Amino acid sequence: MSARRFGANDTLDFIVVGSGAAGGVMARELSQAGFEVLVLEQGPRFTAADFKHDELDHWFNNSLLNSPETSPQTFRRSAADKAERVRNFPSLWYARMVGGSSNHFTANYWRFHEVDFNERSLLGEIAGTSFADWPIDYAELEPYYTKVEWEVGVSGLAGASPFDPPRSKPYPMPPLPVKSSGVLLERGARKLGLHPFPAPMAIASVPYRGRPACAHCGFCIGFGCEMSAKSSTLYTMLPEAEATGRCEVRSESYVFRVDTNDQGRVTGVSYFDRERREHFQKARAVVLCANGAESARLLLMSANAKFPDGLANSSGLVGRNLMFNTYAEVNAVFEHELNEYKSVQVTRIVHDFYDSDPKRGFYGGGGFDSRIGPNPIVWSLFAPPPDRTWGAEFKALLEAMPRAMIVATHGTSLPLETNRVDLDPELKDAWGLPAMRVTYKDHPDDLAFSRFLQDRGAEVMHAAGAQQVWKGPVAEAPGSPHLLGTCRMGNDPKTSVVDRHHRTHDIPNLFVCDGSSFVTSGRGQPTMTIQALAFRAGEHIAGFARRGEI
Amino acid sequence: MNEHDASRRRFLQASGGAVGAGWLALHWPQLAAAAEHAHAAATGAAPRELKLLTPAEARDVEAIAAQIVPGGATPGAREAGVVYFVDHIHAGLYAPQADAFRADLAAFQRAAAEAHPDAGAFAELSDPQQLAYLKDIEQTAFFKQMRFLTVLGLLALPSYGGNRDKSGWKMVGFVDRHVWEPPFGHYDADYPGFDPYTKGRQS
Repeated sequence: MSARRFGANDTLDFIVVGSGAAGGVMARELSQAGFEVLVLEQGPRFTAADFKHDELDHWFNNSLLNSPETSPQTFRRSAADKAERVRNFPSLWYARMVGGSSNHFTANYWRFHEVDFNERSLLGEIAGTSFADWPIDYAELEPYYTKVEWEVGVSGLAGASPFDPPRSKPYPMPPLPVKSSGVLLERGARKLGLHPFPAPMAIASVPYRGRPACAHCGFCIGFGCEMSAKSSTLYTMLPEAEATGRCEVRSESYVFRVDTNDQGRVTGVSYFDRERREHFQKARAVVLCANGAESARLLLMSANAKFPDGLANSSGLVGRNLMFNTYAEVNAVFEHELNEYKSVQVTRIVHDFYDSDPKRGFYGGGGFDSRIGPNPIVWSLFAPPPDRTWGAEFKALLEAMPRAMIVATHGTSLPLETNRVDLDPELKDAWGLPAMRVTYKDHPDDLAFSRFLQDRGAEVMHAAGAQQVWKGPVAEAPGSPHLLGTCRMGNDPKTSVVDRHHRTHDIPNLFVCDGSSFVTSGRGQPTMTIQALAFRAGEHIAGFARRGEI
Repeated sequence: MNEHDASRRRFLQASGGAVGAGWLALHWPQLAAAAEHAHAAATGAAPRELKLLTPAEARDVEAIAAQIVPGGATPGAREAGVVYFVDHIHAGLYAPQADAFRADLAAFQRAAAEAHPDAGAFAELSDPQQLAYLKDIEQTAFFKQMRFLTVLGLLALPSYGGNRDKSGWKMVGFVDRHVWEPPFGHYDADYPGFDPYTKGRQS
């Protein structure tokens, strides 16, 4: 069956805003459950032939991203500062295209551990933060993690990590072949008594569900996969949704308002088409999967007389508790060639420091992995230490790139109400809509743990026999591609935006499911959990619709 | 056999039994288009003409770039044609910033001339003089921008005007193929396989 085309006057069962990691899953689950679904995606629909191995274009011309020219953002550290327009590279960045950031991500697919869901109960309050338990636990999400692994497609080795939470099924595909960086990380970590293990990746290691195995081209992070081996929703969930004959993915359709009636129910959405003509499309229910920054912005932009502070915002928390994941790097150069520009980014991970340990004196947990960061231009610009950025020593470093690798650390970001997305009072985007304003300052514990983890990574590189080891900066984040927490889940409407089924507390036929639903940040690599949430939410939302409970 | 055919053959070899014939038949045109794009970009003729900069501007840009990534036993920024990258990108993609870049360059040239009134231009200073001068200004926005442009001109696709004969890629050991197979490097060549943990979690 081919993709459906709905008419302008049709009333859809569901409109899903956004076609990325969450939207793709949501569209497939709802359409396969028998409902008519229109997906509205602001970006274009690219095919494999549009993806280029052009590092300048993809990394420095923002050709796949939310462009700072047309979709500008402003940034500040605190509400006391005036937010300044961000130039060159967005603060909160995502791929603006059908399939969203599931196209250009690295495809690290860790499951969260049990502790990520109930850490507040385990550790107690952290003063000055909105640290809280999730309304669901790991056991409740486990079947949906398994669903992601099998239906989206994840390669990995079950049981390899002694720290992994329980699972009901092994991975459907074996891990990708180890790279030299993975061997060295493993060598050093084992020497220190740690437990490195093969990285789970949403990249096909063998042919899977009609897609070929990875060809190891090396252009993963920041690039689309022209081989369709990366398990992007562009290649997985969306074609399956369209194949039901009940789903249309309408690209270059930029939703700027969710419309409501006097009864306080959603009636549909208003959007701009490619020519910036305005349309209104009716729907019985709307699901926002526009990502952890844009879903919140859309709710705020939809303010009206009945909902003057924005939709679903009776708690005042829409846009607040923005979280990233901390990231730091250790650089190392070895005696022989690694050729890290080949194949997928990550093949080995260390999770020995996943749990927070009060003995350290600060909150935090995380993991680190082996990679290079990531392609020749980015490495050359950002990896060199301050005293070797130009001249003969810089050239010598460039010539050592085949022997270089990076240990990348990923850690927790505490939720703070002061860290937020809202609407800039002055700046407009190219469509005349309020630009996104970002306010973000890392909690001191986040940076302390990031330094701690970076030191552990450096020890591993020394243990692995590196000739040179140097640490990258650990500094307050200027932004992130991990967009989390801005419409947090919870049972109490006063302290959360959506309930445990992703229904907004305030509007019965409005749902939000993406990174914004996160209550805490996890340790990194949020897309796996975003998709597990979307599978779970899709099942519940379909059930509500079937039972007339929307 | 041209490079495109070679790329296709490598792909077929590497994918071998791993990719179904049906899948290949269905998707090869797209893959070929993607590969062809990279191929055409990578083998475009190296430019020899300036589009925007004056010869005097180009000489100083080239001199600065050659200090950031010097030549010598192996090609550096000058040999990679970084100056043509800097020129072409300001005539194209970075056209909106071209006036600002040239104004900053002019300011750099004036200051260098004041510091060395005997030399006609920065490019005419001796090697040690150039190095010492750049060391003094290495924290300026203009120098940082020149470093950024030099790295791009060295390592971006040759179609942008630099990376002549892929000399930048050769410097960093990057080979522009689309398909690789393990082993990828020295250390994974004799990896014995993942040894599972039998004792379970230690804490």
